[in-house]
Amino acid sequence: MDGIHDLGGKQGYGPIEVDEGESPFHEDWEGREWGIAQCARAPGITIDWWRHCRELIMPGDYLGRPYFDSWAQTDFSIYAEAGYFSEEEISTGKSPSKKTDYGKPAVAMTLKQVLQEDHDNAVRFDGEIETPPVFAVGQQVKTSRHGNSGHTRLPQYARDRTGTVHAYHGAHVFPDLSAQGVEIHQHCYSIMFEAAELWPEAKWSQDKVYLDLFETYLAEV
Amino acid sequence: MATDSKPAPGFDASKVAEIHQHLHSHLPSESALRVKALETLLVDKGLVNPKTIDAWIEAYTEEIGPKRGAMVVAKAWCDPEYKSRLLRDAPAAIDELGFLGKATAHLKVVENTDEVHNLVVCTLCSCYPFSILGIAPPWYKAAAYRSRAVRDPRGVLAEFGLDLDVDIEVHVWDSTAELRYLVLPQRPEGTEDMSEEELAGLVSRNSMIGTDRDLGENIEADG
Repeated sequence: MDGIHDLGGKQGYGPIEVDEGESPFHEDWEGREWGIAQCARAPGITIDWWRHCRELIMPGDYLGRPYFDSWAQTDFSIYAEAGYFSEEEISTGKSPSKKTDYGKPAVAMTLKQVLQEDHDNAVRFDGEIETPPVFAVGQQVKTSRHGNSGHTRLPQYARDRTGTVHAYHGAHVFPDLSAQGVEIHQHCYSIMFEAAELWPEAKWSQDKVYLDLFETYLAEV
Repeated sequence: MATDSKPAPGFDASKVAEIHQHLHSHLPSESALRVKALETLLVDKGLVNPKTIDAWIEAYTEEIGPKRGAMVVAKAWCDPEYKSRLLRDAPAAIDELGFLGKATAHLKVVENTDEVHNLVVCTLCSCYPFSILGIAPPWYKAAAYRSRAVRDPRGVLAEFGLDLDVDIEVHVWDSTAELRYLVLPQRPEGTEDMSEEELAGLVSRNSMIGTDRDLGENIEADG
């Protein structure tokens, strides 16, 4: 989707607010939302569907509201779309349903248990597929000119550009379909682009930009 | 909502766009109240336990954070064999210290040298190697950094106080898939006598993202 979230190379966002503080949460509600996001997962959703729901936040809200606020809004939309929250419940903040409607209520976890869960949640996205990778390390490739209108991980700034295969990562879950609830694996590569290929003002630059891209985003040169 | 069927995602993007419009007009405007409303609904429905939220906050305030990454870096500086394992298979190498976890199953470590400086960004969302660096700093998640890191990396670094020599190449890593990146900064000179623990104290969070480079500045003058 050519949405507001696709920020790479966009101009006009001004200087960076360099933050010297090391505290993880600057407001209490940020920690609450982080915690909610760790323990609330509507059954059947995928990380890519979650990302897509975040991309679909209205542009003004996406850019104008704090980061963890957008996570809360994404969670709201995920639960509402799946049928857990009604519009009325969102408007009133009150739930007429009972805790037993969705099975056993969630139990309290201790610090030790969540640390174990964090360790166990090192989710792998790779898997075996039958077809061999089309591209080889060192080969030149060209990226697609267009993205798709749903979720995709080929940013606009790297479309219709020539790069070099830097590394092959194996077959990973393909995000474009995972965002639609379909899990298939596809070969994934690290592609190196010369900054000069991407940006008009970088004509003399030796700098590089690396992106991890899926095979169907790429074609032979 | 039908009570005889379990809720399930329909993966309906148009519906979600409508929901966002509804949320825009019906949720309170203050972030704290919006998050409170979400927590209230989830807890009322038994989908989330508030004590588990407390535990996750504690985990990412007290236990999981950039100190983990700093320990990995210091170990790699002191132990060449560990460093080669880290560069070859980072998830296994960080798990030797028990640090494998959220968003690090496909971790890659990229090494700074005299010729190359690495910088990590996620232009499409804000992907970050949580189990080894903790919660990302606000600037990492902001539009200014996400838009500029790939296009004007040297300007970005200058704003962090790092004027990079023109001869040093910048390699920017945009986390567009499930791989996550950790920068291995260079060990500062004059640290030969320091212990691994002391060395870890020199490693800033920003140096592992790539917005800091010269860690010799962190050595105390009287040290």
